[in-house]
Amino acid sequence: MGLQQAGSSACPQSRILSESEQREVTRLCARTALMLLQHGAESALVENTARRVGVALGAEGVEIALMSSAVVVTTLSERHCITTVRRNEDRGINVHVLIEVQQAMLDAETGKLDRHGYRERLEVIRPLRYPRWLVALVVGLACACFARLAHADLAGCLVAFVASGSAMFVRQHLAALHFSPLINFFATAFVATSIAAQGLVWGIGSTPKVAMAASVLMLVPGFPLINAVADMVKGYMNTGITRWAVATMLSAATCTGVILATSVWDVWGWL
Amino acid sequence: MNVFIVGFIENTLLAALAATGFGVSFNVPVRLLGVCAAGGAVARGLRFLIADVWEVAPIEWATFIAAATVSTLGVFVGRKLRMHPKAFTVAAMIPMIPGVPIFTALLSLARMQRSGVTPELLAAAINSGLSACFIVAALAVGLALPGMLFYRRRSLI
Repeated sequence: MGLQQAGSSACPQSRILSESEQREVTRLCARTALMLLQHGAESALVENTARRVGVALGAEGVEIALMSSAVVVTTLSERHCITTVRRNEDRGINVHVLIEVQQAMLDAETGKLDRHGYRERLEVIRPLRYPRWLVALVVGLACACFARLAHADLAGCLVAFVASGSAMFVRQHLAALHFSPLINFFATAFVATSIAAQGLVWGIGSTPKVAMAASVLMLVPGFPLINAVADMVKGYMNTGITRWAVATMLSAATCTGVILATSVWDVWGWL
Repeated sequence: MNVFIVGFIENTLLAALAATGFGVSFNVPVRLLGVCAAGGAVARGLRFLIADVWEVAPIEWATFIAAATVSTLGVFVGRKLRMHPKAFTVAAMIPMIPGVPIFTALLSLARMQRSGVTPELLAAAINSGLSACFIVAALAVGLALPGMLFYRRRSLI
């Protein structure tokens, strides 16, 4: 009862939805939640955005249950509910998609978009992808910065730049071939450490170990880790723990790659 | 004192560059990369001031304060740009992620498995593992702080 009152007062056009219209709204809510979840949004944002879209498009209430592998959405209208489940697969972090979906939601809320407009707006979102060479270049630079922040000398920074830049190129290539992220992180860590280990083998610079440590830093799953703690703090324990576990697995895969490379080149990491 | 000024400038510039680099890898749109860079610079600069120059707080508390500050500033910027502040604040936090401690902890564990437990390896594993966990928690809770304190029942945007 309370929910219905709140729903109808928040809804700008409080016309009763027909069944097919309610179905359409349910689909749009599910699509919204799924797009956000696939591209790396935290659970609070997914739930909040999908709920607001549903209410803005005329539903009285929207309930969402989130899992890491699926989304369940129920819309309520005139005491009828429609529930739908969508399978979630990770598409990699893409902030551009998150922003576009959110702005579509805000436009629906201010009444600029109706159901058809909103659906068309979602359909034309093409995830932004920077060119691979550019990503490799800037990530290499970022890792060189990390090396410098950890007090490496110029030669060490250069080694970190080359190692992590090449490794980032490998990582993007393997991701495009649809390898499992675990295999991808393992192989990438092996490449990065192998290149950075040459600094130690040939005695390049006075801080080769810092360069080795910095060259695998682009494999730290920073975004999932921050999302994991944010989810757990905000009460989404189940997605939070899953994200934490995924981040740990990726770090373990990276670690295995580092160990293999240090065994091959006979240098024992930066310990 | 001069050393600290140089260190401060170096920290902010390098953090800005690193945050931009990771922004690109997260596919942040070009127009927001500057915001990421500024966020990274403020965060790392503030942490450097608190933990290394003034030495008023240990690194995890300094991280927490820096993350909370950037997040609070991010709320204002986000409302102006009509987007959730996480779009740029997460990339800004990346320069503060304790990458080396995370891998040091895991590598020490692997080494203990291979060559037996020694007090040094055990200490390295526990010290860096704990420090990494605390810093990541400080980052995430700091980022979530404006939402938990000021926007309890309201949406950020």
